[in-house]
Amino acid sequence: MSVDTQAIANGLRQRDPELLDLLIEQFQHRLFRYLVFLTGDQALSEDLFQETWIRVMERGHQYNAKSKFESWLFAIARNLVIDVSRRKKMRSLEELADPDSNQPFEPPDLHGVSALQMLVARENEQAIQLSLLKIPAYYREVLLLRFHEELGLEEIAAVLSTPISTVKSRLYRGLTALKNALPESAPRGAA
Amino acid sequence: MSDSLHTRAQQLLAQSLIEGIAPADDAWLRRHLKDCPECREHAAATNDLLRALRAVPIDVPRDLAARTQMRVRLRAQETAGASGSGLILWGLTAMSWLLGVMSAPLVWRAFAWIGEEFRVPKLAMEMGFVLWWTIPALFAVAAVLHQRGVASNAKRF
Repeated sequence: MSVDTQAIANGLRQRDPELLDLLIEQFQHRLFRYLVFLTGDQALSEDLFQETWIRVMERGHQYNAKSKFESWLFAIARNLVIDVSRRKKMRSLEELADPDSNQPFEPPDLHGVSALQMLVARENEQAIQLSLLKIPAYYREVLLLRFHEELGLEEIAAVLSTPISTVKSRLYRGLTALKNALPESAPRGAA
Repeated sequence: MSDSLHTRAQQLLAQSLIEGIAPADDAWLRRHLKDCPECREHAAATNDLLRALRAVPIDVPRDLAARTQMRVRLRAQETAGASGSGLILWGLTAMSWLLGVMSAPLVWRAFAWIGEEFRVPKLAMEMGFVLWWTIPALFAVAAVLHQRGVASNAKRF
């Protein structure tokens, strides 16, 4: 059962426990996938998943129903990822805060993403999925939000707190990075 | 077919996925893809790429939602309890100030009597009166700061 944004805003303002339970059920897959895409670490994603919902409960009164609930949810999760990466000195994720400050594109160290590697290393389309691991988290993030979550450019910009032009450029560069990360035998699409 | 046509087709293809293209460009792209096997293959590969991206299998741990629901409810109870005890503290503080103001003339007279009886210098008596007033307030401030410290520690993980 889905709940409309105004009902969500009203329920969150009152800290309605039934509504929170429903939202956790409803958005668990999308939120967890987003966190795993960002962090590449399942255990950390589980912690962040729980912490995200605690923040949703605590700051529910700040949700004004003008944007999609999932955009607000992803923004909260993203800020937590950035906080944790700063605390734990996870350099690859710190770039989420300001990726454009590190201009030259360098594929991350694959040893650092072994957990995500284990998660995505399945038989179907394995080559393409594994190539996702070779691109920086801030490209994975926009590609996920655009092509998996099917958020609009404005919604992605709201999640990332960046201008739409930045979102577009990250998407173009992300597609290029993904294409370049593919092995020779895999299909290479537009970018 | 010139390279610039292929380049334009591939740019439009990426643009159509990311931000959309004008109907005229869309019509041109469709015509081009119909006539150009190279760009058609490129478009098919792009679709495969995005399908693979959408198909990344990430399973949510079975009990994660239930654990989260329980943790959120517990935190909600904790914060509700903390805000309730905060209200009690503020209420007690207000009552303490009210009683202090009401009893100030009596306390002043008591200090004056003690001063006269034991020949305490006036300055020492006045300082004693000020301390009598400020020490409870300092205790209240310490209690509030302690409570805030406990709450912020609980928020960390």
